Parts: sequence; structure tokens; C-alpha cells
Amino acid sequence: MTARRNLFKWIAALVALHGVIACAGFFAPDDPLAQDREHPFAPPVKLHFRDAQRHLHARPFFHPFRKSASALDPYVEDAARSIPLRFFIAGAPYKLLGLVPSRVHLFGTDGEPLYLLGTDGYGRDQLTRILYGGQISLLAGWLGAGIALSFGLLIGATAGYCGGWGDEILMRVAELFLALPWLYLLLALRAFLPLSVSPLGAFLMIVAVVGTLGWARPARLVRGVVLSAKERDYVRAARGFGASDAYLLWRHILPETSGVLLTQAAILIPQYVLAEMTLSFLGLGVPEPAASWGNLLGNLQQYDVLVSYWWMYLPALAIVPFFLAYLGLASALQECMNTVGAQHWRGQE
Amino acid sequence: MQPLIVVENLVKRYNGRGPVGRPGVVHALHRVTFSIAPGKTLALVGESGSGKTTTALCLACLERPTSGRILLEGRDIAALQEKELHAVRPQIQLVFQDPATSLNPRFTVLEILTEPLLFQRKARRSEAAELAYALMERVGLPAEIARRRSGELSGGQRQRLAIARALILSPKLLILDEALSALDCSVQAQIVNLLIDLQLSLGLTYLFITHDLAMAAHLGDEIAVLDRGRIVDRGAPEMVLRKPEKEATKLLVQSAPLSTGIQPLRRVS
Amino acid sequence: MTRFLLSRMTHAVLLLFGVSLLTFLFTALAPGDYFEEMRLDPRIGPETVSALRTRFGLDRPLAVRYASWLKSVVRGDLGYSFSYNSPAGPLLWARARSTLLLTFTATLLTWGLALPLGIWSAERLGKIPDTLISWAMAALLVIPDLVIALGLLLLAVRSGWFPTGGMASVNADALTAGQRIGDLGRHLILPVAVLVFVALPVVVRHVRAAMIGVLDAPFLRVARGHGIRRHRLLYRYALPAAANPLISLFGLSIGALISGSLIVEITMSWPGIGPFMVEAILARDIYVVLGGVLLSTCFLIAGNFCADLILYWADPRIRAGSEEK
Repeated sequence: MTARRNLFKWIAALVALHGVIACAGFFAPDDPLAQDREHPFAPPVKLHFRDAQRHLHARPFFHPFRKSASALDPYVEDAARSIPLRFFIAGAPYKLLGLVPSRVHLFGTDGEPLYLLGTDGYGRDQLTRILYGGQISLLAGWLGAGIALSFGLLIGATAGYCGGWGDEILMRVAELFLALPWLYLLLALRAFLPLSVSPLGAFLMIVAVVGTLGWARPARLVRGVVLSAKERDYVRAARGFGASDAYLLWRHILPETSGVLLTQAAILIPQYVLAEMTLSFLGLGVPEPAASWGNLLGNLQQYDVLVSYWWMYLPALAIVPFFLAYLGLASALQECMNTVGAQHWRGQE
Repeated sequence: MQPLIVVENLVKRYNGRGPVGRPGVVHALHRVTFSIAPGKTLALVGESGSGKTTTALCLACLERPTSGRILLEGRDIAALQEKELHAVRPQIQLVFQDPATSLNPRFTVLEILTEPLLFQRKARRSEAAELAYALMERVGLPAEIARRRSGELSGGQRQRLAIARALILSPKLLILDEALSALDCSVQAQIVNLLIDLQLSLGLTYLFITHDLAMAAHLGDEIAVLDRGRIVDRGAPEMVLRKPEKEATKLLVQSAPLSTGIQPLRRVS
Repeated sequence: MTRFLLSRMTHAVLLLFGVSLLTFLFTALAPGDYFEEMRLDPRIGPETVSALRTRFGLDRPLAVRYASWLKSVVRGDLGYSFSYNSPAGPLLWARARSTLLLTFTATLLTWGLALPLGIWSAERLGKIPDTLISWAMAALLVIPDLVIALGLLLLAVRSGWFPTGGMASVNADALTAGQRIGDLGRHLILPVAVLVFVALPVVVRHVRAAMIGVLDAPFLRVARGHGIRRHRLLYRYALPAAANPLISLFGLSIGALISGSLIVEITMSWPGIGPFMVEAILARDIYVVLGGVLLSTCFLIAGNFCADLILYWADPRIRAGSEEK
């Protein structure tokens, strides 16, 4: 049963990670759209526990920046002032999970700007934007995967169950879609739709496009499962008491596809998050001022940003734990399916 | 007495791979003819590939014969459309060879038994559950396993479950397609006794398909030998097996293990 | 053999036809075209725009446009680029050469590294080298290509060891031929590194899995009993037996030679077909887009075809199987 335990570990990790992103308002110290023109490209503040007199404080604190005259180091720590970090503090208003209005943030300061991961050219807090950006990028991945898997299920099940000419044609079309260079087509489809559109519109377009291109591989896998399931004796037995095709599909055949669909979901979601990131990075995805992991990284396309402001690179690291967790989930699902499958068909004496 | 089921000149051809692997037409059944009297058992024996399972599928209306008639109490069911067949299906049920694949491993015992009833709308959920429990007791399954998934049961339990499922719609004819071949010897004996018991108490008619001659002689009132899609021999067990005349029968008898003394059990009818 | 070739050829042609049709529909059905931008310019009158449209045949019905494009493709002419005012084919091909230089080097390096790594890892299954390699590959697998590319770029910028992009230095014209090759090589390092880091974990995993399947086969134990040396054993006995899935994977590697390096080329400013295509897509330069998609699909088909050929040559079972038919 270690396969099961492994699986739960990864699911727990994913739930935790997604939970943080879903409650971005709570975990983020600020508002993602709030600009601070006084502090463009401010580096991350350093948190201290020990002050200048070597005293230990229970509560971490930091020195705010003040502008210096030097061009190389425009921000310098103002050691004269030290501001402690407060927890569960009231700050910028937001809606938790989009529904419940709240003002409580996990941590923050009383009025003084706190930039744990620095700011961008408009003085917007990067930590906040990374957390909120995750909402858009992950949602794009989930919705895109959902659409691709739904189409894949529909087409694969139809092809597998009906067989004959329909099956041939559908599988040839699937082969066609698999041969398309999907990145080019993604770009093309996106670019050939109106370029200046609202963030929501752009988001929905990306999701729709990605989903519509990606049904082929899941369809093939679902078809395989349906083909083998419809020949099983228990399906014949159900026909023996008069079960209709619809009933057979619904109660006996489609439940067999759940394993394949879940594994494909664990593989496709990160792929589609990456697709959104790529599009936004190239400027074809979610536009300003909304944040997404892709367009946050898009700032790095400017040479001076790349060279001077290393903290603008941090959104790239935000995605790594998610990819890791999804990869772990996909492996654990594969293992579970293998053990369960073997158990079923070996039978137990 | 009018026979329960009469099979006349059943022919089944389909496109597939011929014996040499080349695509072509396969003649699975060639003018197969037999009948079974109600309450009796016909044992159909033959080697693998002789057409036994095809016969079973045709009789259970899971395959359409290419030509021929299947008369159930005088009515030709081979010619019926699907709608009319719906009412006929409960009367002929099939028990498959491998209980591991003939029962959905994700379904619980209760779900498997109540499914046919609920689908055919013969009972409400509570009544169906009662019937299921009653049948479970009848076939020797303990009531505690009702909520267990069929994938967790032993082979013998599964085959009992398969038999129970076949009986839940109160069929007249039960087709047992190598139903004992996948079981251990001791379990086989138990199931055989169960089958005999059920036949006596419920008045069932059996088509017992097997390649095991001893079993055929033990259970069958009559034996028919199937060879490459044709019935080549028929008669009472002693006649067919003690004095085999046809080549196919001789081969079967010769290859049966010596320890199985072919002594048909005389049963009180 | 000829029947095999013939069926594959027809299959390839049909696929190319289908892909080009699909792409054409995608691009042509979207509202507007290349000259849309011009309409927004107040100095250019609408008559000029529609005259240009007619001149380039953009006002004809879809079916006619597709048919005439097909006709010219068959003759070898891939159409016209509006942005560059010149035939699309040579433009595409010039950029494709740069891409192929990059991806070809990367593929060679990937497989050259992955085979020994995977085999070594499979040999020492469960021991420290295997665990280390598996972890390293998992780490690489988890980091998306965009992140790796940006990361290496950051490294280049911070350390100054590598050029931060492009294919040649600014003063390339002033260098001798030998120096120019060295300069090219230095510029190749980072983009190739990104591609290798992205592809390596996948290939290593497959090699390792295939070798594990083969390494405790009885025939190998017999060979070891005969005293055959480890190196020969691994590469001449075990690897060929494990090769089939790897050959298919290699076919996929070849298939991705054109389209797989888009992100790398854009982040590292490598003048390959990727940035060219993005530019063409954004400018609605439709024939360049079609040509690029066609080229990419050709490589995909060629990749699968190569894999099938190699399988046929390498695996006697497949040869015998098809001869029987």
C-alpha cells in the first residue's frame, strides 16, 4: 500500500500549494495592482532577528530603504529606522477566494511599504504579484486541461465504442492534431485573434485554444481503455440482461477511464501552465496590469532588467514546486494503476 | 414433453483470421442442431476452438447467428429485434468461465446482484436487496460479504456470485460456459453439488459446456460432442463415452485422465 | 520493402496535406490580414490597401487561395513574405539552417551523454550513482525550459563567462575564419546547454528503464558466463536488445529539430526559425507561417520515418514480420 500512501503525500502537497495560491489575498502583504512610484525596482528587504546592539528580537524586523545618491546602489538600508513585522494585520482589502471580503493579511506592516521580494518598474510588490499571478496561471492550466480532457474523453470513447469507420476517421484526425507543431499553432491562433483584449478575454482565449489543440493524446488513451473494456465478460453479462449501450458506457466502461484521465490531468496541467507562461512571456497572453507568472517573467526580456535586477527572476522559481508536485503525482498515479490493475486481473485465490 | 429449447441448423460465420492466420471467413458453427428438455442437462463437449463458446453466445442472444433457428418454448428468438428480445433475455442467462473477468471488480456483491433487477425494473431498491440476500444464502455466500467488492473475493466465492447473478432474474435456461474450469478441484466439487441442488429445487435447465469429460458425464443427462463447428455425436453418457464410435469422441475419451472413471451418476429426477 | 515505402510516402503526403489545410484554415479564418495594420495608418488610403490586397491575391475565396498555394508548393515555391518583400522559401531556409545547427548539436550531445548515463545508472540500480543520477534528472525534469533558459542567461550576465545571446559577436566580420568558428562555438554553448538540460532527463529515464528491463535477461547472464567483457556486453549485447523504444524516442528527437527550440532562440536571441516565425505570426505574414509549419511537420514525418527505417534495419523480428506479410 505504499503506492497509496505516496499518492496521498503528493495530493496533500498539491492541496497545500494550491491553497496558498487560492488564498493569495491572505498570504500576500499587499495589493497586486498598487503602484509605488517612489520605489521602482527596489531590491528585496533583508529581515533581521538581531539588531545593531546584538539583541535578539522575537519578531523579525527590517530597515526600510531610503534613496541614496549613488547610481549603482540607488537603495540603501536606513539603519536608523527599524520596522517590525506584524502578523495577522489589517491591510489592503481583498476578497478571499473571490467571495468573502476581508482585510486580514498573514503578515505586513503598519503603513510602511514591505517588499520581501522587491518591486518592479512600477513599484509593485513582487511577492504579492507572484501569489496573485499564480491564480491566473494555475487556473489557465486547469481549465485548459479540463477542456482537452473533456474533448479527449468524448472523442476517444466514441471512437473506441463505435468502432468501424467512425473510429478510423477520428483516429486519423487525432494523428493530424498530434503532428501539428502545437507551439506555433498556439501562437498563431492567439495572434490571429484580436490582440488588444481584456485580461479576462485573453485568458479565456488562451484556455480555449490550448484545450482545443490538446485533445488528441488523451483521446487515444481513452480509446484504448474503452476498446479493451467493451470486450470484458462483465460487459457481455450486462448485455445479457438487456443493458443498453448508454447504460454500459455509463456504468461499466467509462469508470475504467478514470485512471488514464487522472494521470493525463497530472501531466497536462503543468504543461498548460507552461503554455500560458510562454504566451504571456512573449506578450501574447495575459496583459498588464494583471499579473501572471508568464508576464512577470516577460519583464526579463528587457536587457537592463535582466542585468541589474536579479529579483525579477524569482517568479521562475515559484513554478518549480508545483511542477515537482505534479510530476510526483503523475508517477504515484501510474504506480497505483499498475498495482491495482495487476490485482484485479490476477484474481485472488 | 415439449423441449424447452430447440436449436435448428445454427450457422455462424464471421470475418476474422482463418486457421493459417490469413484474413478470411471463419465457419464457427455449421448446422448445429440439438434440443434440451425442461429440467434436464445437456453437456456439450469439445476441444478448444470447436465452437462451444460461440454456441453459448448465440443461445444467450449475445451474438446473432448467420442463419438457423433458436426456439425457446416454440418461439424463434434468433429472429427477434432488440426490443422484443428485451423481455426474453431474463429467461436465458449465461455463467462465464473466468469469474475474475465476468464480474466488475469495482462493484460490490450487492450491486452486482441488484443491477439486473433494477435495470429490468423488476423490483424497487429495497425489494431488490432482499432478493439479493436471499439468493446469496441460496448459493452459499455469507451475508457479511454483501458490501465487499467482487475483486476482493476468492475464486469459489466469485463463481457462486456469478451463478447467483445469473439466477436473480429467475431464468429457465442456464448456460454454463466452462464455468468450473478456472476453479480448484475441491471448489469445483462444491460448485457442482450446488448446481445439482439448484437444478432440483428450481427446476432449471442447463446447457453445460465443458472440455472435461468426467464432469460432462457426471452432470449431463445427455452428451453432445462438438467438433470444428459440427455436432458429431449425441446420446446418453454411457453410450457415447463407453462405446465411442466417432473419431472426435474417441480422441476426447482417450485423452481423458485415467483416474476419472467415467461413471455417470444416476440422479433421481 | 517497396510496399512499406510506398504506404509511408502516401501517408506522409496525406499528413502534410491535412496539416497544411488545417493551418491554412486557422490562419485564414481569423479576421483581418497583413494589410490590416496599414488600414490604421491615416496616410494610406483605403484604395491603396485594397489594391495591395488584390495584387497579393488576398481577396480571393479561401478555396482558391489554398489551391493556388498548393500548386506553387508542389512546384517548390513556398509563397511570398509580405514583411520582407521576398520569397518566403529562402528566408525560411536561411533561418532554419541556424536552428538546425543549434538543435543538431544539442541532440548529438544529449544522446551522447544520455546513453552512458542511463546505462551506468541501470547497471548500478539502487546504488548511489543511480540515486544521484535519478535525483539530478528529476530536478532537471521539474524545471521548465523557460526557467532554465532564463537562469542560464542570468548566469551569463552575472559571470560574464558566456556571451549573453546572439549567434556571433559584434565584431565578427573582423575575425578570421578560424576565429569566427571559435566565436560561433562560444555563442553556441549556452543555447545548446539549455536544450540539453531540457531533453536529457527524458532520454536518460527512457534509456535507464529500457536497460533495466534487459539487464537481468537470461541471455545476458549466459554471455557474462562466457567471459565477455563488460563494455562489449553492455553496448553490443544489452543495448541492441533494449533499443526499440529508444529508437522511437530518437525519431521524436529528430522530429523536434525544427520546432523544439523556440523558447531558447527567443530568450537567447539566437537568429533561428523560432523568432522568425513569431515575428511572422504577429505580422500576419501568412505564407511564411504556412511554410514554417510545413517545414516543421516535414521534420516530424522524417523523424518517424527514420525511426521506422532504423527499427527495420536493426531488429530482425520486424524485418521477418513484414516479409511474411
